[in-house]
Amino acid sequence: MNPVMKNTALFIAMAVLLLLTGIVQSWNSALLILNMGLISAIMALGVNLQWGFAGLFNVGVMGFVALGGLASVLITMPPVPEAWAAGGPGVLLGLLLGAASIGIAIWAYPRLPKGRVRVLGMGAILVIGFIVYRAVFDPAVAAIEAVNPATSGYLGGLGLPVVLAWPVGGVLAAGAAWIIGKSALGLRSDYLAIATLGIAEIIIAILKNEDWLSRGVKNVIGLPRPVPNEIDLQNDPGFVSTAEGLGLDPVTASSLYVKFGYAVLFTIVLLILLWLAQKALHSPWGRMMRAIRDNETAAEAMGKDVKGRHLQVFILGSAVCGIAGAMMTTLDGQLTPGTYQPLRFTFLIWVMVIVGGSGNNLGAVLGGFLIWFLWVQVEPISGFVMDVITAGMAEDSAVRAHLLDSTAHMRLLTMGVIMLLVLRFSPRGLIPEK
Amino acid sequence: MEFFNAIVALSNFVVIPALAYGSQLALGALGVTLIYGILRFSNFAHGDTMAFGTMVTILMTWWFQSIGIGLGPLPTALLAMPFGIVGCAAMVLLTDRTVYRFYRAQKVKPVILVIVSMGVMFVMNGLVRFIIGPGDQRFADGERFVITARDFKTMTGLDEGMAIKSTQGITVVTAVIVVGLLFWFLTYTRTGKSMRAYSDNEDLALLSGINPERVVLVTWLIVAALATVAGTLYGLDKSFKPFTYFQLLLPIFASAIVGGLGSPLGAIAGGFVIAFSEVTITYAWKKVLVYLLPESLEPSGLVQLLSTDYKFAVSFVILLIVLLFRPTGLFRGKSV
Amino acid sequence: MSDNPYQDDRGNKDLTITRPEGTSQLGAHPGTGHPMETSQAFLIGDSMTGGYGKGPDILHACTIAVNRGEIAVIVGPNGAGKSTAMKAVFGMLDLREGSVRLDGEDITDLSPQDRVAKGMGFVPQNSNIFTSMTVEENLEMGAFIRRDDIRPTMEQVYDLFPILRDKRRQAAGELSGGQRQQVAVGRALMTQPKVLMLDEPTAGVSPIVMDELFDRIIEVARTGIPILMVEQNARQALEIADKGYVMVQGRNAYTGTGKELLADPEVRKSFLGG
Repeated sequence: MNPVMKNTALFIAMAVLLLLTGIVQSWNSALLILNMGLISAIMALGVNLQWGFAGLFNVGVMGFVALGGLASVLITMPPVPEAWAAGGPGVLLGLLLGAASIGIAIWAYPRLPKGRVRVLGMGAILVIGFIVYRAVFDPAVAAIEAVNPATSGYLGGLGLPVVLAWPVGGVLAAGAAWIIGKSALGLRSDYLAIATLGIAEIIIAILKNEDWLSRGVKNVIGLPRPVPNEIDLQNDPGFVSTAEGLGLDPVTASSLYVKFGYAVLFTIVLLILLWLAQKALHSPWGRMMRAIRDNETAAEAMGKDVKGRHLQVFILGSAVCGIAGAMMTTLDGQLTPGTYQPLRFTFLIWVMVIVGGSGNNLGAVLGGFLIWFLWVQVEPISGFVMDVITAGMAEDSAVRAHLLDSTAHMRLLTMGVIMLLVLRFSPRGLIPEK
Repeated sequence: MEFFNAIVALSNFVVIPALAYGSQLALGALGVTLIYGILRFSNFAHGDTMAFGTMVTILMTWWFQSIGIGLGPLPTALLAMPFGIVGCAAMVLLTDRTVYRFYRAQKVKPVILVIVSMGVMFVMNGLVRFIIGPGDQRFADGERFVITARDFKTMTGLDEGMAIKSTQGITVVTAVIVVGLLFWFLTYTRTGKSMRAYSDNEDLALLSGINPERVVLVTWLIVAALATVAGTLYGLDKSFKPFTYFQLLLPIFASAIVGGLGSPLGAIAGGFVIAFSEVTITYAWKKVLVYLLPESLEPSGLVQLLSTDYKFAVSFVILLIVLLFRPTGLFRGKSV
Repeated sequence: MSDNPYQDDRGNKDLTITRPEGTSQLGAHPGTGHPMETSQAFLIGDSMTGGYGKGPDILHACTIAVNRGEIAVIVGPNGAGKSTAMKAVFGMLDLREGSVRLDGEDITDLSPQDRVAKGMGFVPQNSNIFTSMTVEENLEMGAFIRRDDIRPTMEQVYDLFPILRDKRRQAAGELSGGQRQQVAVGRALMTQPKVLMLDEPTAGVSPIVMDELFDRIIEVARTGIPILMVEQNARQALEIADKGYVMVQGRNAYTGTGKELLADPEVRKSFLGG
């Protein structure tokens, strides 16, 4: 069987799995899995750019995804004028002052004489900068958070169209990636893994704590969406009659319609990104990336700017993750900083890339779909298995109760086992790099 | 008097908690650094290894408590810890046999092992959640305090009390004993020296007749013991929750890298550097400053530099500073 | 991209998660499977043909031998396969033809580690000491396979290299180049080897230190241990050699006693600069 046929067969099998879900469970859940599968595929594409093309080890995917989520709040939510009036300028000024003191410190560092003067000088600049920053920033934040804390208490967004939020999510993530890449790739050896691990946690901490920005753990709900609302559809007589013509009740029909709308939008984004990624892979730029990956010393000797290329691909990959993050928040309709967990948003994406096939864009996409499908379906399957196992046990058996309670945790276990099996027996993944 | 009050407040809220936390981090970082030194990769499953060992300890503790065995004023968990170590050692050795050994035989590049350890992390995390559940578990018993704040006040006549929790005392004492044993082992025993030799130069160690599989086996045993002790002490001091243990990965890695990856001494120093910076920067200094400053200068706010939720940011910034100015870490580890 | 998927690290070199240095490069290579009867030399690599892995042959019917109590030296231009020949004798190459024999016993199919146990001491050219360990610990590790009292052997090594006795508590990595080489040789001597193999022991040390090292090597040879040595400094090496092998492109070009080779006009012209 040639690779093209094999790959087509794999994707068809994946589609069949989704169709089976629709038939056996419900079309609603099939579409849910499809939508998150599309988003997961984009995230996997981003990680594959970094790991598959360039061998960069990014374990901070969660942070970029969360930044994308923040972007969709900042772009789409309507602004809160009272909050802006209360503390908007103060916050902006505070942030500017903070940035300025860091800027001054960086400017002064090479200019101060080495030794004690430099240490003390740097300390003084940073301490004074910090005090000034807090003095301006804190009251402004308090003022903003006092405005209608139950419903707003934050600055709100710009009230722009939803679709704009997705590229902006990519831009935000790219900005963060630039800072990380500049500092971590610029050191004598790479410290990317620990840097990304740390930055991701910091981004989540910021989202959780800076209520003026993201409402923190109070969550931002009711984000505007690019598709109609279910309620509006159900109130639309035209839609109801069409649905009834198809033999569906209006509630189900509206929910399917909305999810289908998302699926179409996400598919368009995925196809564009996949097309770009494939173009990049086969362009001179992509060939150079792989040349650097396979023999960095030789590439450097030929005058290639290895650090620069690494920085580029790291930023691009992170931006793709940011786009996916923005799309996911739009799909959820809310930003809930408390739900970002590294196992789900960083390491699961890695499982997707490894299982799908590092270095192959199609592999990453397939891995995204397949692993997300399993992530969702393992729970009902293991619930069923547990039912079978515990069928012979007494009704009140503690072991039985424990086993039935624990089915939710089979997910992580299964993902680990799948990853280990693939790494062991098919280390190149389902669709290997040529 | 005011000055002494300030000192006492400082020790009570900063020094003592940071000492305990630092000891826990140091023990965790020692495990990471040993694996990095001998097996040459960073073990992403280390937090979950700690959780697994602690879980076995907790289960044994509960069993001991249910049949009425205890250590009096000391927590029963200390009695259960050896069993936790054995359970954890069995787990990591099983993992090594079924997972890692294959890749060693293939002479894989270390980064493949890192990815493999991600898979192990998922499995261990799932197992722990499956067996003991994702929730908070408390298992500390025995005396709660070595000195209570009230006793301290009556003893010294100061306004400010100093409480030393028994778990904090136990943490520091246990950590000192464990670290002492480890260094004795690495410096003076034949096996310990062979581990250092293997870490230094694998080829030459092979040529000298050192058996790599034996070195790896001993390393895993030590790592299991360190992870269980670190995890149990952390759980006694705070509480046990699988997710928290997973999150400890970042400060533990940061400690190991700050100290210099591959250097055991560095891991300890790194643990304390990270712990003290975290506690200092996230502590509300008002209480101490009130005693030190004249009334007119008393701060109005809490004088907390950063909210406690930013403690990860602290480990991370310390890490960046160290890497920028001293890329090998404080103790000249292996990463250059 | 590497052929073995398990070794494909995609060029990642992130030192926070992986530690590249100090890893093993050493692999056990299977022998030819058909040993041959050879001469009565103490250690002989007899008509060895082979290369690394499945790659092309680097050695072509190359023969290297050391007799009891003698110093044998392999010299030749860069890339002639000098070190490769020595590695072949030590079992670090895939031999397709030929055999290696130690004291009459065929060891062609043994791994390098097993050859050490059989009594071969090997000092690699690079990273031949444990830099983070003290001099004394280096010597102890050299004697790792021995279970008897190693103190007398250590005293002998200290007598041969007195400077090491003074520095025995110091980390070997802090020593000078010449002293490191002494540690390396001392470490190899700790197994009480029946034959000692040195791969370019004077690489990268100053001429004065080089002379001293050669003196030490002669002293080691005087204790009765046969020495097989690869050297770039052909003239000095041949002066102390009982037997010399000049290699060119993986083949024996000239063989003779050190004096003969030094006197040979062909050898002088091609390799000794006139």
